[in-house]
Amino acid sequence: MVNGFVILFGLTMLYLAATSRIVAHIRLLIAQGILLFLICCSGMEHLNLLNFAFLAVETLIVKAIVIPWFLYRVLKKTHSNRDVAANIPHFYCLVIASIILIAGFLVSNYYVSSMKLISPIFFGVSAATIIISLWLITIKHKIISNVIEFITMENGIFLLSLSVAKEMPMLVNLGVLLDVFIAVYILGLFVNEINKEFKDLEVSHLSELKDYE
Amino acid sequence: MINTILIFPIIACILTLLIKNKTFNTWLVNIYAVLHFVITMMFVTGHANNKAIPYFAVDNTNLIFLAVLSIVFLAVAVYNTGYVKNMEFPAKKISHYSFMILIFVLSMTGTLLSTDLGIAWVLVEATTLSSAYLIYFNKTKNSIEAAWKYVFICSIGIALAFVGIILLNISSGSLNSLNFAELYSHAASFDKGWLTIAFIFMLFGFGAKMGLAPIHFWLPDAHSEAPSPISALLSAALLNSAFLVIVRVYKIMQIADCTDYARLMLLVMGFLSLFVTAVFVYHIKNYKRMLAYSSIENMGILAIGTALGGVAFYAVILHLIGHSLAKASFFLTSGNVLELFDSKRIKSVSGLVSADGKSGWLWITSFLAICAFPTSVLFISEFLMIKQMITEHHYILCTLFVLLLTIILFGIGRVVVKMAFGNVSEDKAKVIEENRHKVSCWMYIPQFVMLLIVFVLGIYVPPFLNNIINLAVRGF
Repeated sequence: MVNGFVILFGLTMLYLAATSRIVAHIRLLIAQGILLFLICCSGMEHLNLLNFAFLAVETLIVKAIVIPWFLYRVLKKTHSNRDVAANIPHFYCLVIASIILIAGFLVSNYYVSSMKLISPIFFGVSAATIIISLWLITIKHKIISNVIEFITMENGIFLLSLSVAKEMPMLVNLGVLLDVFIAVYILGLFVNEINKEFKDLEVSHLSELKDYE
Repeated sequence: MINTILIFPIIACILTLLIKNKTFNTWLVNIYAVLHFVITMMFVTGHANNKAIPYFAVDNTNLIFLAVLSIVFLAVAVYNTGYVKNMEFPAKKISHYSFMILIFVLSMTGTLLSTDLGIAWVLVEATTLSSAYLIYFNKTKNSIEAAWKYVFICSIGIALAFVGIILLNISSGSLNSLNFAELYSHAASFDKGWLTIAFIFMLFGFGAKMGLAPIHFWLPDAHSEAPSPISALLSAALLNSAFLVIVRVYKIMQIADCTDYARLMLLVMGFLSLFVTAVFVYHIKNYKRMLAYSSIENMGILAIGTALGGVAFYAVILHLIGHSLAKASFFLTSGNVLELFDSKRIKSVSGLVSADGKSGWLWITSFLAICAFPTSVLFISEFLMIKQMITEHHYILCTLFVLLLTIILFGIGRVVVKMAFGNVSEDKAKVIEENRHKVSCWMYIPQFVMLLIVFVLGIYVPPFLNNIINLAVRGF
């Protein structure tokens, strides 16, 4: 059951790589938040109530509701619907993302399965998610897409932390959540400011500061 | 004592939000700086009540870092008093500025004092978020670009450092804690493969924050676009706090006895930083960017010193003190130059000494301090590092080190001399006359004091300071 959710989570990354409408990307963030919540619910019977409540707030409320809602507002304000001019055609994006995902499965099955502490599927999917997100950041042209991929990377890291059968101290969890939330908030504010200042959200505008002229 | 240093700024922040008065808010920052300084000096002289509170403590390693932060913050606060007077912004914006400075210093202090890797991570990310507003303070196209790059690159870097922390958690086996003391005591039994991968992630993550090449790209942009007091804080305090986390993680590697790979990584990144500075320093059009590149160079030297070990640890601490004080003074003086000439371009500045003698000579002295001219303390530290390289028979590294430093020295020296001497053009003379009233006596004293400390430390290290440095060296 858990493994099914984790694999679905991995497949959402393929969808992210293959589509260009930003609204669809934001809906995908909602889906990822809900999937993470389901993974927490079904895999963690030993959790106590306080920890469970915290994880529910983190995944369901912050990751699946607050952040997507905030990004949706930013999107409406800035009127940017598509990230069309990606450097690589979508079909190749899909192929490369699939290769990374499969590589994640293979590597984790060969090397990680000997470790008792971590589950290979969690590890493989989360590593692949982090790598796909980092790679997508480098090829996308719109600043808001970069923010979305930053969030999927954070989701991947969250999944990785679930793969270790140990709990971080509560204070650390809380701090991480707060930091990620504020980082997304600040990035969102900057997206608005950049839109006002440059009339557009193209990454290429942000190349004024350099040493070679 | 630790409570006071961490709780006072929170109260002060609430006050800045309630009372939006320019003078009051600026003085609140000054009061925190004085309080920070007094408490730190009590710790340094051993008069403080060092009762540990959960997650935060003053120990042998972080005491010297705390002292450097405290001195730099005090100097910046004094300078800031004069600097804020020239700001023509509404009181509300100034109160946000003071608020963010308080949060920024609070999170840096927290990073230094934290005894838990997780808390240190959270606070390092907090420094990014609080200083982003300060970099964007002037609200120009360039400053938003700098702030965007800063937040985005550092957040991704820090996120990767968190991956490193999770991997460290995997390698630590049954130990379920991120407390440094517990990590040290169990480090010998950690899984070495996972630990090495964890170290790489953490080195890249915190290294991005520290400004090591090849992940230094945010640094010249952010340092050059921020207001000058903030540039001084970023360069002289923020980079050190990220370095402290790397030092602590490196210690885990040492205890676990897998330093070979860690040393190689530190050496490569250190030399890459020197190389990047040596290449770029000849093409720079903006003098604040030049100072930022010099910070990258000095962080590279710290990384190299850490990798060398032995007597180089002592040199690293000396270098850290010297670099922080000299670079803070350099950035603050660059603020004076910017106020006078109203331009960041190297081309438009010449004849600084004849335009404003005090700023001119501070500019030259800061350069002498940073380029390790005897009796600057940086001379001793770089000398000790070279000595360590020779005694360990790393002749090629030693040659490369000296060569790159010389190239950088020439690159920076050329610009400094060009700006300091020569004649002021006529239209610039008018601008300078108009702006002369902006540079008040607050904007000279802090640099003078810091440079005095740098040059005195090169001849005489007081016994109490020597004691603290030796304690810190044992913590490496």
